[in-house]
Amino acid sequence: MKRKHSFLKSFSHELPLLLLALPGLVYLIINNYIPMLGIIIAFKKLDYAKGILKSDWVGLKNFEFLFSTPDAWIMTRNTLLYNLAFIIIGTIFAIVLAIMMNEIADRFFAKYFQGMYLLPNLISWVVVSYIVFAFLNADTGLIPKVILPALRAKDINFYTSPGYWPFILLIVFLWKNTGYTSVIYLSSIAGIDRTIYEAARIDGAGKLDQIRYITLPLLKPTIIILFLFSIGRMMYSDFGLFYQVTLNSGALFSTTQTIDTYVYRALMQFNNVNMASAAGVYQSIVGFILVLGANLLIKKINPENALF
Amino acid sequence: MERLLSKDEKRFKKASILFVGLFAVIVFSPFVLIAICSISSTESLISKGYSFFPKSLSLDAYLYMWAQGKVILRAYGVSLFVTIVGTATSLVITPMLAYPLSRKDFRLRGLFTFLVFFTLLFNGGVVPSYIMWTRVFSLKNTIWALILPTYLMNGFNVLLVKNYFERSIPRDLIEAAQIDGANEWTIFSKIMVPLSVPVLATIGLFTGLAYWNDWINGLYYISDPSLYGIQQLLIRILNNIAFLRSGAAASVVGNMVISLPGESIRMALAVIGILPILIVFPLLQKYFIKGIVIGAIKG
Amino acid sequence: MNKKPAWLSFVGLLVIVSLLFSACSPGQKPPASSSPTEAPAEIHFAFLSFNKIPETDALASVEEAINAITVPKINATVKLHPFSVTDYAQQVTLLLQSGEGLDVYHTLGDLPQRVANNEFIDISTMIDQYAPETKALVGDDFLKTATLHGKLYGIPAYKGMAMAPQLVYRADIMEEIGVDPATIKSVYDLTEVFAKVKAKYPDMIPLVPVQTGNIGLITLLMSTQYKVDFLGDSYFTPVAVLIGDDMHVVNFYETQAFRDIVNLAREWYEKGYVLKDAATTTSNVLEFMSAGKAFAYIAAYAGNQAYTQISAQTGQPIRMVRLAQPYLSSTSVNALTWGVSTISKHPEAALKFINLLFTDKDVINLVIYGIEGRDYVKIDEYHVKYPEGKDASTVPYTAQLSCGIVGNQFIQYQMEGTDMDDLKLMEYELKHSAMSPAMGFTFDGSSVVNEYSAVVNVINEYVPGLTTGSMDPAEIPNFLEKLKSAGIEKIVAAKQQQLDEWLSTQK
Repeated sequence: MKRKHSFLKSFSHELPLLLLALPGLVYLIINNYIPMLGIIIAFKKLDYAKGILKSDWVGLKNFEFLFSTPDAWIMTRNTLLYNLAFIIIGTIFAIVLAIMMNEIADRFFAKYFQGMYLLPNLISWVVVSYIVFAFLNADTGLIPKVILPALRAKDINFYTSPGYWPFILLIVFLWKNTGYTSVIYLSSIAGIDRTIYEAARIDGAGKLDQIRYITLPLLKPTIIILFLFSIGRMMYSDFGLFYQVTLNSGALFSTTQTIDTYVYRALMQFNNVNMASAAGVYQSIVGFILVLGANLLIKKINPENALF
Repeated sequence: MERLLSKDEKRFKKASILFVGLFAVIVFSPFVLIAICSISSTESLISKGYSFFPKSLSLDAYLYMWAQGKVILRAYGVSLFVTIVGTATSLVITPMLAYPLSRKDFRLRGLFTFLVFFTLLFNGGVVPSYIMWTRVFSLKNTIWALILPTYLMNGFNVLLVKNYFERSIPRDLIEAAQIDGANEWTIFSKIMVPLSVPVLATIGLFTGLAYWNDWINGLYYISDPSLYGIQQLLIRILNNIAFLRSGAAASVVGNMVISLPGESIRMALAVIGILPILIVFPLLQKYFIKGIVIGAIKG
Repeated sequence: MNKKPAWLSFVGLLVIVSLLFSACSPGQKPPASSSPTEAPAEIHFAFLSFNKIPETDALASVEEAINAITVPKINATVKLHPFSVTDYAQQVTLLLQSGEGLDVYHTLGDLPQRVANNEFIDISTMIDQYAPETKALVGDDFLKTATLHGKLYGIPAYKGMAMAPQLVYRADIMEEIGVDPATIKSVYDLTEVFAKVKAKYPDMIPLVPVQTGNIGLITLLMSTQYKVDFLGDSYFTPVAVLIGDDMHVVNFYETQAFRDIVNLAREWYEKGYVLKDAATTTSNVLEFMSAGKAFAYIAAYAGNQAYTQISAQTGQPIRMVRLAQPYLSSTSVNALTWGVSTISKHPEAALKFINLLFTDKDVINLVIYGIEGRDYVKIDEYHVKYPEGKDASTVPYTAQLSCGIVGNQFIQYQMEGTDMDDLKLMEYELKHSAMSPAMGFTFDGSSVVNEYSAVVNVINEYVPGLTTGSMDPAEIPNFLEKLKSAGIEKIVAAKQQQLDEWLSTQK
């Protein structure tokens, strides 16, 4: 009896919070959870006449193509290494930019700069691929035709030389995403109480000390959240970056093939919904396991910062 | 307001200006290139490639656009409506969900947070979503199909706001209000929201950009061209070109040579997609910066 | 514990919604018959359009005009779903799977896969009753290409499928260098021609790619030069093929034909006859031609008059010369096959509508050109043009570029300037071109789908480079080695087995 009473009491206490959460939760259920039923497509052989639910189960057969290829290792390695580089270097760049932008936020031109950083996010990968091509192509490109001769360097055909592409793709990635990510850090920095800095200044802390002992520790929760998001997407890659920006150049596959581009090329001919879905499930499950692991680790070291 | 800056701080400020400015130039130069290419003649683009100094200029691309003027204006209208309505709605329901998740005394907190995060990892693919929105909600070929699916609320944004609520708003403030007898709605709307302007400005910006950039919803749910948004209009043209250039098209329809919009037109398309943002951004930016500064003072 | 109710209600919701899903798969097909007293059947009809997609009211007016014909003739009304090339596959999948409904649509080079998905109904017997005229028109040879496991799943579009590889060149420059185009008999004669162009016009690129990664040499393999039947593989990623009359399936890349082509491409590339960036270029072939930067390209066309249109588009004096004669195989025939979907509620009416697409010139002209007066005007009995001051992008409705996709190309109106003799040539060659001995055999790759996915990726890695000359032919052994480890031999064996089975049923 007593237990039920306390349950009711706590319920009346939590009801308003539940009501506040309700619209968002309903949206997540409609937009995300119900369609998740579609995951079963990965385990079926689709028969259009029978529909999704009544199609036959085929177990893990749709997953085989991901592993039965000599490229399995290359595409997994590339996906993971690129993501690792993007997470580490991307985060450093975004934080440095955010701190410096915050530093000059009182200058009138700051707002124009910030607007500029977001522009790359507004153009599609197809256009980005044209721009990259304009810089790199062998016939008229700015780098092979103008810059390399000026440096008296030897001629390079970028689209047949896979060795350069990890750097090229990293630069394009930073160009497109740094501004966007830095906005998140900038808003976090803006949320830091100014008086902390004032106190530190009075104690004689220099600018770099302030950053090291105040800004960075206070950004830690944000960094960790963004890190966990990235870990969850560890097996995914931006299709536009790896397929369109490389102009689907076969000679570059050894350094540009990722799981997503492999799946796209493999299924283009067959348009196989089951196998595409299986690839997505595989990527998500690995990401899920990685996130759970990372979160557990964070919980052990610093429970305050764990996500759940 | 004038503070005395130490030598060290002055130096850092100078370095910041240099770094931020330099990065801005690097980021911006490709756009200059796009703009120049959009007014370069085809002849120049083919023989000299994309160049900051074209051989000859031509306004053909924009004359071509001008002929499509009505279509482009209507697409701007659709995009604008979708962006405003979508972003406004999102800015209401996102913090509403984030607030309970930020409350340590809310018992379903862990479960709900996990449910929100889980949506970022798994999705069931397009077919079930399509069935949901077209068969149950009959959204096909309505403007709501551009607003409701996918972008209205994003788990990522919810967690960002939750994180901000937890870190940047002192717990005592909420407790004091509770002692004063304020209900949850009052705490949410009178304390949490006003104190979270920086993060709300951030997610508002992200959501706005996502809506403005979106063409996927249009691809799935809109087949009537009168409901095309601007990106959809542009991406359709660009993707059709990309597809026809590739071998995939030829294996189907043979080497049918179709006159595609030239390269200068493709660049003009990109300019047209960015232009309104270039115009609107400095205006919005004022509020954005203001938001951050206000947040900082109050915080 | 108050966690439980939340979980439970969530699970409950999932159950409810899974019921909703099942509602989307079609129930029993009602035995539809079309006695005139019944309400007309509604036929949803999807097709690929390379033109601007029309707005709803323009579509409605065309539908209305079509219905005025179809209701009295076959007691059916039609809903048009023109999709652009980037949307087509996706939208057809959505219409089929969501239960929104789709009755009549066509394949895009993927007939076996669609049959494996059980997307098309078997029309082997229905065709005699509901589309006998079309059956007679298309003929058994072509219908066999849409027959899998002994069942007929569709009707290939009847169009200029007999395509010959052609050198499309600048006539003024050809004259300038003093070459008589009539002396060009094969692709190997071109080296000399390009050399002369290069000598006289060092800034000009003698040969540009017709698409990114394709300078036209693969296209040539379809020709009588080698008589290659791709046996259902894509032209750009052929895997296991037949060459000539030999009924042994071979790995295409181990053949002498492939080596010859690669060596030729390399020679051209090294001598500077080919665009250096042919494997990745973002420019369109017509831009190269109209900017005066290129001398020629190689592409496959039906008939011999396509150059008139290309001249008009590029503003240059363009002519073309055949490099080989057409060679027909199942792949070239069944790429565009019209079928009735398994979710159709009115399969009989749907098939009757397909019959009209092949035989009724009023219906097909409405689908392609729209409403007379508003969307086009007639010049004479056979030719039309856009109304004064209008073009393809400003008329409310046109699907003119789909002329070779919908039904029967030879009974439609033609655009102004089309030579009717050329059309006759196309139809003649369709019936009288050389044919692969395996004509009618269609490969079902579903048993080797894993191997295909691996092999196609390897092909994408090497073939564009090799066939445009930018990759050294010395890479071929590595390429072959990789193909082997990707499982190409299994594909060759599976194809051979199916081919043998097919041959035994043909006697």
